[in-house]
Amino acid sequence: MSLAEEYTEASDGSRLERGLAYVQRNSRAYLLIAPAAVFLLAVVGYPIIETFRLSLYQSPADSNIETFIGLQHYVEIFNSDIFYRLLWQTGRWVVAGVAGKTLLGLLIAVHLKGDIRGRKFFRTAFLIPWGIPYAISAVVFRWIEHPQFGYLNAILLKLGIIEQGIGILGNPSLAWLGVVVADIWIGTPFMAIIFLAGLQSIPQELYEAAAIDGAEKWHQFRYITLPQLKSVVLIATLLSTIWTFVSFDVIWTMTGGGPISSTATLVIHIYQVGLQNGNLGRGAAYSVIGFLFLLVFAIIYLRIYTRGGDEL
Amino acid sequence: MTMAGHDRSSLRKVRLYGVLIGLLGLMMLPFYAMFSSTLKPESEIFAAPATLVPSDPSIQAYLQVWTQTDVLLWVGNSFIISVGTVVLTLLLAIPAAYSCARNDFVGKRTFLLAVLVVQMFAPVVLIVGLFDVITQLGLFNTYLAVIVPAAAFTLPFNVWMLYGYFKTIPVALEESARIDGASQLQILTKIVLPLTKPALVASITYTFLYAWNRLLFVLTFLTDSAKYNIPRGVFSMVGALQTDWRMMLTVSVLGIIPLLILFAFLEEYIVAGMTAGAVKE
Repeated sequence: MSLAEEYTEASDGSRLERGLAYVQRNSRAYLLIAPAAVFLLAVVGYPIIETFRLSLYQSPADSNIETFIGLQHYVEIFNSDIFYRLLWQTGRWVVAGVAGKTLLGLLIAVHLKGDIRGRKFFRTAFLIPWGIPYAISAVVFRWIEHPQFGYLNAILLKLGIIEQGIGILGNPSLAWLGVVVADIWIGTPFMAIIFLAGLQSIPQELYEAAAIDGAEKWHQFRYITLPQLKSVVLIATLLSTIWTFVSFDVIWTMTGGGPISSTATLVIHIYQVGLQNGNLGRGAAYSVIGFLFLLVFAIIYLRIYTRGGDEL
Repeated sequence: MTMAGHDRSSLRKVRLYGVLIGLLGLMMLPFYAMFSSTLKPESEIFAAPATLVPSDPSIQAYLQVWTQTDVLLWVGNSFIISVGTVVLTLLLAIPAAYSCARNDFVGKRTFLLAVLVVQMFAPVVLIVGLFDVITQLGLFNTYLAVIVPAAAFTLPFNVWMLYGYFKTIPVALEESARIDGASQLQILTKIVLPLTKPALVASITYTFLYAWNRLLFVLTFLTDSAKYNIPRGVFSMVGALQTDWRMMLTVSVLGIIPLLILFAFLEEYIVAGMTAGAVKE
């Protein structure tokens, strides 16, 4: 008997009674998921609703007085130059970051795929940047990029590329690049590991057949590897896009969004406005805009994930 | 194989390892910068331009760091937060995942998909609303202020990981135990969970790392410096005008050593966890 049939099974009484009877029959199943469900509703569901509500209020963090102002926050946001600047800065941050992570990850994975001696060692070593605190990676990159004592400047000076030390993180037009490099470093291992797993699931026979036909390495990559890897690349870049979009710790530790807000992204701005400046209402409105972006990503992800029928 | 073919394949090997080692070197550069700096005396660390190799390496910084910073306290707090998050997450995830794997009920699909959506919902876009919840629950400045949100955001991974694994365990095993008079709890702890070890280890490692590595929750919900964890401690050492780089980098090295040990032993489980959602068999 299918679930639906069981549910609509002819029985006397109202819909409600039938529903209750159904829950009772499956009470153990519901009891076991209840703690997790209630917990998520309280810690994630409620804050979502609260964020929507707050976004309609003038709500300073240091007082209990809230004034309902409707959509005014949104109107002001969409009419401000800051918002469009944030979009541009978030866009370049995400595009550069994801592109860097994808290409570097692919490069590593392709070279780790074959019959490599010590693959476990390489895989573990490549994994490390992903698994350590972002704040630590961020201060290390801050140190490397230090205008006076940094290693980067020392190397560039030695190679004769520059004549004077440059302060990357203090320069409004360069700072975002200085931060994105750190973010790429952190995010690359995930891509490499996913791509490697994807590559290893490609049947070896395809390559053997191509080799017999005399296909060049590059052609094998172009016509076998890439098409076979398509869905893996799709999911990995989508996840990476989400994580890069919401990346907070790295930017916050390296620049705090500065200089003159040049490294601020949407999520950095949420934090600055909502928590640092204590303008909860405005911060909430920015958060709702962030939700919308994430919603689009989530829908795409669920589409890909549940594609090919009911797998739950 | 002809000689020429043999030469070509060994040349390819050399090139392959060359590229690999080059890439690895590139990825390891930041670690070199971090570690080599901690071996420099105070006078050398503030040399401009930087010396790329410490001229007179010493482990002085590692002797001073215990008294000059709160590194032990931070590591201890990191452990409390990580272990607390692991425990809370498992307590919630195991029953839920087990229920979904063993029963078919209205709302199961919704529950599992909703959990998946939570995974997408990054904490930072929720931070304003979370701030409200944490204060209303009176959790501000307690370890739970970090453990509770961290558990919420690691729960999805745990539920899916365990759900997928529970499904592969034959029901017959449990039924025969039931006939032998085992209680539901005994069945779960004595039969099912031991068989779930790979998924459990992957889940625990993921959760532990998540809680160990994140700055956001501690930054926002813990202002009491006695409860700082490693990321927050390192962050607190970044001064507006002056930063003690030598001590900060030494703390950083110490802060990642427990993780390196974890990686060395559990690499396979970590990789299994990372690839779980992305690579479909």
